[in-house]
Amino acid sequence: MKRIVNVFVLLSVLLSCSKDSETTDTEYPEIDMAYAEAFPVQCSTIRRGETFVFRALFSDNVALGSFSLDVHHNFDHHTHSTEVNDCGLDPVKTPETPFVYIRSFDIPGGPQTYEARMEIAVPADVDPGDYHFMIRVTDREGWQTMKGLSIKIQ
Amino acid sequence: MKITIGMLTGLLYFNIAYGQSYRLSGRITDGTDNPIAGARVTLRETGAQQVTDRQGSFTFTGLRPGVYHIDVAKMGYEHGQETVALAQDNQGVTIPLKGAMHVLDEVLVIDNHVARRKQEESLNVEVVGRDFIHRNLGGSLMQTLERLPGIQTIGIGAGQSKPLIRGLGFNRVVTVDKGIKHEGQQWGADHGLELDQFAAGEVEIVKGAASFVYGSDAIGGAIDVKPESPPAPHTAIASVDLVGRSNNGGYGTSVRLGGRGSRWFADGRATYLRYGDYRVPTDTVYVYDYGVALHRQRLRNTAGRETNLHVNAGYLGERFNTILYVSNTFHEAGFFANAHGLEPRRVDAGMHDRSARDILMPRQQVNHFKAISRNALHWGAHHLQAEFGFQHNFRQEYSQYVNHGYMPPIFPNTLGIPQGLEREFDKLVYSLNVRDYWKAGRHELTFGLGSEYQDNTIRGWTFLVPAFGQLTAGAFVYDKYRLSDQALLHAAVRYDHGSLRMSEYRDWFPSAVDDHGSQEYLLRAANLHRRFNSLVWSVGLNYHPVGTFSLKANVGKSFRMPIAKELSANGVNYHYFSYEQGNPALSAEQSYQADLSVEWSPAGWRIQVSPFYNYFPNYIYLNPTSSFDHYYGAGNQVFRYEESRVMRYGGELQVSRRISRSLTAEVLAEYLFSKQLSGAKRGFSLPFAPPPSLLVNLSWAPGRAGNPFMSVDYRLVARQDRIVPPEKKTDGYGVAAIQAGYTVSVAHHPVHLNLQVQNLLDTKYMNHTSFYRLIELPEMGRNVVLSVRIPVAVARGEAAKQVTKKPKQ
Repeated sequence: MKRIVNVFVLLSVLLSCSKDSETTDTEYPEIDMAYAEAFPVQCSTIRRGETFVFRALFSDNVALGSFSLDVHHNFDHHTHSTEVNDCGLDPVKTPETPFVYIRSFDIPGGPQTYEARMEIAVPADVDPGDYHFMIRVTDREGWQTMKGLSIKIQ
Repeated sequence: MKITIGMLTGLLYFNIAYGQSYRLSGRITDGTDNPIAGARVTLRETGAQQVTDRQGSFTFTGLRPGVYHIDVAKMGYEHGQETVALAQDNQGVTIPLKGAMHVLDEVLVIDNHVARRKQEESLNVEVVGRDFIHRNLGGSLMQTLERLPGIQTIGIGAGQSKPLIRGLGFNRVVTVDKGIKHEGQQWGADHGLELDQFAAGEVEIVKGAASFVYGSDAIGGAIDVKPESPPAPHTAIASVDLVGRSNNGGYGTSVRLGGRGSRWFADGRATYLRYGDYRVPTDTVYVYDYGVALHRQRLRNTAGRETNLHVNAGYLGERFNTILYVSNTFHEAGFFANAHGLEPRRVDAGMHDRSARDILMPRQQVNHFKAISRNALHWGAHHLQAEFGFQHNFRQEYSQYVNHGYMPPIFPNTLGIPQGLEREFDKLVYSLNVRDYWKAGRHELTFGLGSEYQDNTIRGWTFLVPAFGQLTAGAFVYDKYRLSDQALLHAAVRYDHGSLRMSEYRDWFPSAVDDHGSQEYLLRAANLHRRFNSLVWSVGLNYHPVGTFSLKANVGKSFRMPIAKELSANGVNYHYFSYEQGNPALSAEQSYQADLSVEWSPAGWRIQVSPFYNYFPNYIYLNPTSSFDHYYGAGNQVFRYEESRVMRYGGELQVSRRISRSLTAEVLAEYLFSKQLSGAKRGFSLPFAPPPSLLVNLSWAPGRAGNPFMSVDYRLVARQDRIVPPEKKTDGYGVAAIQAGYTVSVAHHPVHLNLQVQNLLDTKYMNHTSFYRLIELPEMGRNVVLSVRIPVAVARGEAAKQVTKKPKQ
C-alpha cells in the first residue's frame, strides 16, 4: 500500500510542475461599431460614384496589430454575416462588374485602442445590390476578430 | 502474420552454453497423439521461445535445475500450459492441445505475444486486438482507439478522424498498414485516414520517438495496423459483421470469406457502411455568433458512406512465406453545410433537411488503393522480410464556387476544372522495405532498409499545396542485447536521406498587385528542390526482476522532413480565413524524447505509470501573425510556417484493481503540457493540446458460458485554457458510456453480440481537438451502437475429423 501512495506522490509532483509562471495573452481584440459615428453598420446603404468614410473602434487588452477590409458582392446569397438580423436581400442575380475592395493596414505603434478612418471610393459603374463588408482585426499575438456586415450599394 | 511472428521468434532461441546446464525437450500433440508442427512454445522463466518442428518437438538448452512453466500457442488450438520440475538433463514432456475451431476468430489472437511484445520493447507500446475493436467500435478506427490513454483524435464528423499520440498528430504520427507506411493527406485536419477497421487484426500503438524504426514522421509515435490472421490449415472460413448506430442512422456490414489448404490460402473481405447526418444535443449552433437553427438537432450534410474491398492470397511455408494484399477503400462524406471549414454559409435549409441521408455539397471523397506484397524467408540464423507496396490516394473536395478575393465572379468553364471541384490531391506511392533479423549469441540484430517515392499532383479552383515529388531512403541497425534473463538493452541508429521537388504553380485568375490597378497571374509556388539528411538514434532498457515489478526506459532522437505544404504553401485557406505562407528555408524537424514506464502488479492490482519528456530544437509551426496581406492573401491574416523551440512533458497512469472474481475497476489518466520556448509564440502551448483527462471504468465479467460482460466508462476532461491563436478555450466536461456483450450459440455457431451506448446522458460538450471546435459545434449526442459478429469455420478432410471431434468429458 505504501508503494501505491509513493506512486501517487510521484505523479502529483509531476503534475504540479505544470504550473505556468509566464502569462500569455489569450484575449481576442474587439471591434466596436456601436457608437454614433461608426460606418458602415449592418444594413447601411452606400451610393455608387461617391466616397464614404469607414469608421470603427478597435481595442485590445495588450496591443493591436493590423486590420483588413474586404467588400464583395452577395448576389448569390452566401453568408459571412456575424450579425443576427437580416437586411432583406434582393433576388439572386448574376454579377457583371461587382465592386471589389480588398485592403489591409498596419496599426502603427501597437496601441490598445485605435479608431480607423478610411476613405473608400465606390466607382459609378459597379453593380448595385447586396454586398458584404468584412472587417478583420488582429492583435500583436495574432488573435483575429472578424465582423461581417451586410450592406447595400445603390 | 501470426505465422511470421511464430517463425521469427522460433529462430531467436537461445544458444547460450553454460558449463552445468540441462536440456528440456518435449512434444506438442493434438488430442489423438498426432504431432502439432509450428506451435510456439515459450519458457515463461527465461522468455525463450521455440516453434515445434514436423514431429511436434522442441528443446530448450542451457537451463539450470528448477521449476519451469511452459506456454504453448498454436492457431486453431486452445492455449496450452504445463509446469515441469527440471531435475535431470534431457528431461521430456508431452503437452496435448485441445482443438478450438468452434470459436475460430477469437482463438486466433489468444497467445501471449502481446505481453511479450510489451515486455521486450523499451518504448511505450499498447496492443489491442479484434476484441477491443469490437467492444469499442467507433465511427472510424482512430475513434475506436481513442479510449486508450495518451491517444486522442482530431475528428471531423461521425466517420473520420486522425490520430493524436500525446498531443502530436498529422505528419508527426506514422500509420503503418500491413508493414507499409500509409500515405494519404495526413496534413489536413478535415481528412480522415483511409483504413477499414473491420479488416484490422491487431493494432499496435507506439508512443514516443519511433523514427529509428519507421523513419521520418514517427516523432510522436506510430500506429501499426496488422492484418487479420490467415485461415487455419484445411479450413474454410466465413464471418459476418453487422453494425447499427442510432445517432446518425448508420448501418453497415463486413463479410469475410476465405480458405486454406495446407500452405496456400486466399481470403477476401467486403465492407459497406452508410450513415446519415449526426445529431448533437442542441437546437441551435453558433457559427461566429451567427445562430444556425438545426432541423431535429441534426448537423446538416454530415452524412457519408464507405465501401471497402480486400483480397489477400499467399503461401505459408516453413522457410518461406509470401502474401499479397490488395485493397480499395472508398469514403464519401459531407461537410457541415452551414460552415465550409470555418466560413459561415447561407444554405438552402429546405433542400438539406429534406433527407438526413443525402450527401450534398460541400463534400469530400477519397479513394485509396493498395497492393502490398509481404515476404519472409528463413536462412540459418537469419530471418529476412521484405515488403513492396503501391498506393494510390485520390482525394477530391467539392463545394459551390464562391469568388473569394480577386477570383472572377463567374467561374469560367474553359479551365478544364469541373465547377464544383475545389481541391483535388492525387498521390501515387511506391514503397520498399527490407529487414534482416539475425540472432547471434545474446544479440538480436535487425538490419533494415526502406525507401519510398511519391508523386503528387493537384487540381481544383483553390490552391494550398503545389504538386511535388518526394524520394526518401533510410537504413538502420537495431540491436537487442540480452544482458541477463531480467534485463534487455536496446540500441539503434538510423540514417535517412530525403529529396523533395515542388513544382511551380500560378493562379488561374489575375489579382491586383499594386494600387494602380495592375494585374498579374500570381506565382504561388516556385520550383523548389530541397534535400534533407538525418541521423537518429535510440537507446533503451527493459528490466524485469522476478516478482511483480517491471521497468522500461528509452531515450531517442527522431526527425521529420518538412512537408510540401510547410515549404511551399502560398495561398488562402478559406477553411480558416488564413493566408498560409510556406517557408522554403525550413530544416528537418528534430526531437529528443525520454520515456519511462514502470509497472507494478501486486495481488489484485496493476499499476502502470508512463511519464515522458520531449524537446524540439525546431518545431515547425504555422504561426498566425498580426499582419494581413491584400495582394497574395486577398486581405486575409498571414499565417507563416516558423520554427520554435518546444518543450513537452506528460504521461499516462493506468491503475486497475480486481475487486472480486468478476468485478474490475480501472482508472486511466493522461496529462500533457507543452510550451513554446522561443519565437513569436513564446510561452504559448502547441495547437490541439489535449486537456488532462481521467477515465474511470467498472467492468463486470463473471466468466460464465457465453462470456457476458458489462462495463461503464466515465470520462472526466479538464478545461483547456492553454491555447494558441486561433484556438478557443474549451470547457471541461464529463461523459459516460456503457458497453455490454454476450455470445449466444445459434445452430452450433457462436454469435457475438455487443452493445454500446456512447454519450449515455446526451451531454452537450465540445472537444478541444475537434476540427469543428473553432465554430463551436458540440460533439455527437447519445449513440447506441449494436454490433453482431458471426464467425463460421468449416474444417475439411482429415483435419475435420480430428478437429471437430468433441472432446470426451
